[in-house]
Amino acid sequence: MTLLLSAIIVAITLGITFWASRRNTSASDFYVAGGRISAPQNGIAIAGDYMSAASFLGITGLIALNGYDGFMYSVGWFIAYLTVLFIVAEPLRNLGKYTLADMLVYRLKDQRVRTYAAISTIVVSTFYMIAQVVGAGSLISLLSGGVIGAGLAIPLVGVLMIIYVVVGGMLATTWVQIIKAVLLMFATIVMTVLILSRFGWSFSSLLGAVEQRNGAEFLGAGVKYKNPIDLISLGLALVLGTAGLPHILVRFYTVPTAQDARKSVVWAMVLIGAFYVMTAFMGNAANVLVGKDTITRENAAGNMAAPLLAQALFGGAGTVGGEFGLAFVTAVAFATILAVVAGLTIAASTSFTHDIYKGVIRKGQATEREEFRVARLATVGVGVIAILLGLAAQTQNVAFLVALAFAIAASSNLPVILFTLFWRKFNATGAIWGIVGGILTCLALIAVSPNIRGIDPPEKTTGRHLVQAPAIFPLENPGIVSIPAGFLFAVLGTLVGAARRNEGAEQAFEEMQFRAYTGAGVDGTVAAHD
Amino acid sequence: MTVSRLQSGSPPVRNAAYARLVAERNRFTVIMTITFLVLYFMLPILAGYNKPLMATKVFGNVTFGYVFAFLEFAMGWIMAAIYVVKARTFDRLAAEAQR
Repeated sequence: MTLLLSAIIVAITLGITFWASRRNTSASDFYVAGGRISAPQNGIAIAGDYMSAASFLGITGLIALNGYDGFMYSVGWFIAYLTVLFIVAEPLRNLGKYTLADMLVYRLKDQRVRTYAAISTIVVSTFYMIAQVVGAGSLISLLSGGVIGAGLAIPLVGVLMIIYVVVGGMLATTWVQIIKAVLLMFATIVMTVLILSRFGWSFSSLLGAVEQRNGAEFLGAGVKYKNPIDLISLGLALVLGTAGLPHILVRFYTVPTAQDARKSVVWAMVLIGAFYVMTAFMGNAANVLVGKDTITRENAAGNMAAPLLAQALFGGAGTVGGEFGLAFVTAVAFATILAVVAGLTIAASTSFTHDIYKGVIRKGQATEREEFRVARLATVGVGVIAILLGLAAQTQNVAFLVALAFAIAASSNLPVILFTLFWRKFNATGAIWGIVGGILTCLALIAVSPNIRGIDPPEKTTGRHLVQAPAIFPLENPGIVSIPAGFLFAVLGTLVGAARRNEGAEQAFEEMQFRAYTGAGVDGTVAAHD
Repeated sequence: MTVSRLQSGSPPVRNAAYARLVAERNRFTVIMTITFLVLYFMLPILAGYNKPLMATKVFGNVTFGYVFAFLEFAMGWIMAAIYVVKARTFDRLAAEAQR
């Protein structure tokens, strides 16, 4: 039944994809749906883009296994939208550019920046994507009872996502995300209502049951994170990373005006906030109704807590209701992964085609038809890379890949976006140093952190550390060091580059600021792209 | 499709509305951003350094930690609402700045 429901959802989304393909007539349609998505649609799509497998499956599992510490992820991921709303959404829409690289080059007047910005976009998107692809692989293999192994499931997911994007472009991707967000919200609300009905409509009695089962410490902080600096570092990456995520940024180019960008963030905040509040109910209920032992038996990281909770709520294992609940939630989780991966693929392939191919290789001379063709080819390329990396990483912990993507985005993209928008003296050298320095610091710290290094007991076979040696850097998330490092590199680069006279850059800043603040020349016109 | 080409239309106009827009918007953004960052980071800081407080029960079995976390959500929605209201002024000034 699970496979049947999943197949129905996949069939519906494929139908939309082909419907959208007939409306895709230009490169602009492909990248940003011609900039004609409405604010509520875009807001729901942002929510759909954001509530990934890490949120739905991951957080529910984290709370079920670690109590309160898991809920801290929910808070950080939600609050991150204030950074997006206050600082980046409207100025980016006002500038009327397709990509981060476009915006940087428009302000800094230096084509070298284009390549680095595009590489950063592709690196962040790819890390994010691997986690989703691996998650989908284990979901399918678990639910088919091992009939479809991860080795087959990962390519299957990869091919589906390539079809969505190549055939449907941004319009289809947006609709897939909207449908998925609605399904996910529906599933979450139904589950929360069922949970509350079991506990006398009281969060307090739910927590009481959790305490009875696990002891009082489960209601407080510190079950998972003993070191306070770890919590702060993670919080920094979550709150600052979102504003630098390319697949979230690209969503502001799909609406006509800055007002629509603002409205879509507000829509997204309502949905995402409601969703994350409900994770507190789902995670704790999974702990009580399913139990830690059953959850970890299915998946050591707790990724199956939400589907198992649905099974328990609808009547338990072996009952028709229970099987339906399990099938429905799993199908929703699967749709979630497909939608998120499609969004990531669009961001990465847009960046490659528009920035590297058209901007650097062809020096802006590509015809629209040619660009469109390369965009589709790039999508296939990005998809194949994600499948290969996903296969290579299929035994790795997926949560660390997602946290890594957030940390890289916060360390490389965010400093550069902020300085570009607000710092008059900022220059191209600063942008390049900031991007490269941020990414490299982040990757280097991860490589020597407990995510990669650690000494496992000899009998441990699953989830072993890649390098059997003590960790050199103590934190799981490098944010607290790598984010300031990214800012520092951007400042140092700017000082070094200040010696190079760049005619017109100061005037470009004035011009850019005027546009960023007022939306002059962009308001209400999709044609502003030309 | 000449996105990368410089769009050098009429030179930017500098009027009083624009100066006010920049000043007001910057002030608002800085104050709001510092406020939400301070309020947000109190959560991981308290969770890290004051575990007994976080585990203290406030209503029934609901701990201070959960109350604080739920208040963070309320803060997020309230600050977004304040911004939406304030942004009407920004929109008006932006329109005036382009005259």
